Amino acid sequence: MKKLISKLFGFDPSEDDAPQTSKQAARERLKLALTYDRTSIGYNALEQLRDEIIQVIAKHLDLDQEDISIQLDRTMDQDKLIASIPLRISTRSRSSRSPATMNTVPSIRRRRPR
Amino acid sequence: MAGRVITITSGKGGVGKTTFSANLSASLAKLGKKTIAVDADVGQRNLDLLMGLENRIVFDLVDVVEGRCDLSKACIRDRRIPSLQLLPAAQTRDKSAVSPDAMRKVCDGLRPLCDYVIIDCPAGIEGGFETATAGADSLIVVVNPEVASLRDSDRVIGLLEAREKYDMRLVINRLKPERMRRGDMLGIDDILELLAIDLLGLIPEDDYILVSTNRGELAALNPSESPAGQEYQNIARRMLGEEVPFMSMDDTSGLFQRLFRMFKSK
Repeated sequence: MKKLISKLFGFDPSEDDAPQTSKQAARERLKLALTYDRTSIGYNALEQLRDEIIQVIAKHLDLDQEDISIQLDRTMDQDKLIASIPLRISTRSRSSRSPATMNTVPSIRRRRPR
Repeated sequence: MAGRVITITSGKGGVGKTTFSANLSASLAKLGKKTIAVDADVGQRNLDLLMGLENRIVFDLVDVVEGRCDLSKACIRDRRIPSLQLLPAAQTRDKSAVSPDAMRKVCDGLRPLCDYVIIDCPAGIEGGFETATAGADSLIVVVNPEVASLRDSDRVIGLLEAREKYDMRLVINRLKPERMRRGDMLGIDDILELLAIDLLGLIPEDDYILVSTNRGELAALNPSESPAGQEYQNIARRMLGEEVPFMSMDDTSGLFQRLFRMFKSK
């Protein structure tokens, strides 16, 4: 039935809707595990880092604490600590939540440059 | 002669390290290179069994290290390929019987006797790994396309880099092209991106390997029966500087092709 509907409406379910293949799952999980292994920072330490970053930034800016995400990511060149910290700007914006996002990207130099 | 010492390692056990060591040694020997395969898995030797030489062992690595016999006497000559020899491990001792320094001396003693020394490293990252890699000029890391093998080998690569051993090449073993096409298996690109070392070979899963190891035969010497055997030979030829294309996995777009070109241009 789903297939029929998607055919009728002319979109390919494999593009957005397709469930993640086990290969993609393996890739994402490994990427994360290896990043943590190599930086020797634990999941707990990252949680603590998150809390401390929030404390510091909250002194100066109004934050939406629920939507803050801090994670490690690997690219071919380097390991990155990526923090996505949405700001709450109440004055003159239509919604209380602004789309403005402050990205801080301090990079940890990767052990193995390529 | 100044032989090159290459240690075959993986971190995780059961990925095909010993089978690879045996077949790579045979392939190099078949190409005319004097090759000595060394079993560094003291206490759990198997290289002798996979090479079909288990009933010809008189002396072993520990006998050499402890001075009971000299190197050339402990090496067993393979009757099928005269340029192939095996230095077996001791079965009744443990890993502590050979120190990293002792292994370095063994490697220095073997270099003048051959073109290639291929050392089969035990699984794990403990003393046996330290010993097996101590005298190596370069390393081949064997992985399977699954998460546990890849994580363990990443750890091994990290440890080797910390010891300033950078000449490492990757062999991906037991690939199943059909499962890769279905998205059930990590792709070559994914693995190369995660581990970030150069690719040396892609070996397909091959039912013939069990048959040949049962018999103490080497698949690399029977490539017409064995796709993996063919690839062992290809890897040996690449090591000697020949340009041999990698087997097709139908997953060879983008990054993988670029890496292949990089490899070719060396």
